[in-house]
Amino acid sequence: MAADPIHQFQIEKLVDFGQVNLPLLGQTDLAFTNSHLAMTIAFTAIVLFMSAVTANMKVVPGRLQTAGEGLFGLIDNLAESIIGHDGKKYFPFVFTVFMLILGMNVLGLLLTFTATTQLAVTGTFAALTIGLVLIIGFAKHGLGFFKLFVPSGVPIVLLPVIIVIEFVSFLLRPVTLALRLFGNMLGGHVALKVFAGFVIALGSMDAAGGLGLLGIPGAALSLSMVVALTALECLVAFLQAFVFAVLTCIYLNDVVNLGHGH
Amino acid sequence: MAEETTPAQTEGTTEAHSAGLPQFQIQHWGGQIGYLLILFAILYVLVSKVYAPKIRRIFDERAEAITGALASAKQVQAEAAAQSAAAEKALSDARAQATATAADAKSKAAAETRERQAALEAELGAKLGEAEQRIRTARDAAMLNVQSIATETAQAIVKKLTGAAPAGVKG
Repeated sequence: MAADPIHQFQIEKLVDFGQVNLPLLGQTDLAFTNSHLAMTIAFTAIVLFMSAVTANMKVVPGRLQTAGEGLFGLIDNLAESIIGHDGKKYFPFVFTVFMLILGMNVLGLLLTFTATTQLAVTGTFAALTIGLVLIIGFAKHGLGFFKLFVPSGVPIVLLPVIIVIEFVSFLLRPVTLALRLFGNMLGGHVALKVFAGFVIALGSMDAAGGLGLLGIPGAALSLSMVVALTALECLVAFLQAFVFAVLTCIYLNDVVNLGHGH
Repeated sequence: MAEETTPAQTEGTTEAHSAGLPQFQIQHWGGQIGYLLILFAILYVLVSKVYAPKIRRIFDERAEAITGALASAKQVQAEAAAQSAAAEKALSDARAQATATAADAKSKAAAETRERQAALEAELGAKLGEAEQRIRTARDAAMLNVQSIATETAQAIVKKLTGAAPAGVKG
């Protein structure tokens, strides 16, 4: 039980509100779960952080303001460099996505539950992004949105093949967006749990008299792996949030600047 | 880890294990999706209406402060350059004036010296001429005296020799 690496992803109801039948998802449990709790903590932390950053802004920034401005500038520059002149308009969306994912990823390393290891959560982020891409695409270009699948300068002979490839790759974007984040966080946390489980298992086997001299060094090696993996996961937590923001910008750029710079 | 062993959750866990990853328990999706959408909407509004404008304002303020400081620094620098140029000009003017004054003084002194020398020379020349004149008169007088002395001496000699003064001989 303690060594089960999958158990950490189990949704547990903290406050139950009963069940409803939703059209697409079928029978749905309405409850305040550990996932909701993790999301709430991440959200509250982000709001507190940003409020503290913007509460008393100075031209010459202090430490906290520098940190907040650093994150802000990171995404601002990203949106501006990828989307260009219109980047400022879409910045709040990208920044919100980035901060929520970053908050949930980082808190997952500190708490017992990581919201971004839930496919429902990463899928929602991906759906929001692709939904915005579709809305902007159709609002800005109408049916001209479909030019996205017809790159210019392609020989007529190749065009049918290219269109199919482009269309399929567009359909796969939300899937890859959701699965990349989900997979990275899931894999990292499973690996952490497995190595942490080894520490207990090898240690207790040694305590029971098995394995002779191998138990304690094995447990120590596993423990050092846990430490190393935790460091790696800190990097992954930031990187995956950043990657998600970059891809969001790229997909938005496709429809914002459709036809030029493509 | 303690709460993992409560009976209700153990039941949920065994149910989950039969269905593979707990992430695919569709009955939990709706609640999470709805809740995340709400949180996202709130944070989006906060970012776009509160945080981003505030941070952009401070960015603008900072840029303004920097350009202002740069402009004032440039102005001060230009002022300093102008002042240093003026000082240099004043210095060179003063030097030129000093040189002119020195040359003037030198030439004036030289002229004065020449003048005084000429006056002195003239005076000396006059004195020399006067002296020469005096010498000449003295010599002439001396020459006259010599004649009378010779005459007197000759008369005295004759008187001594003859006992009578020669008549009619006058020196």
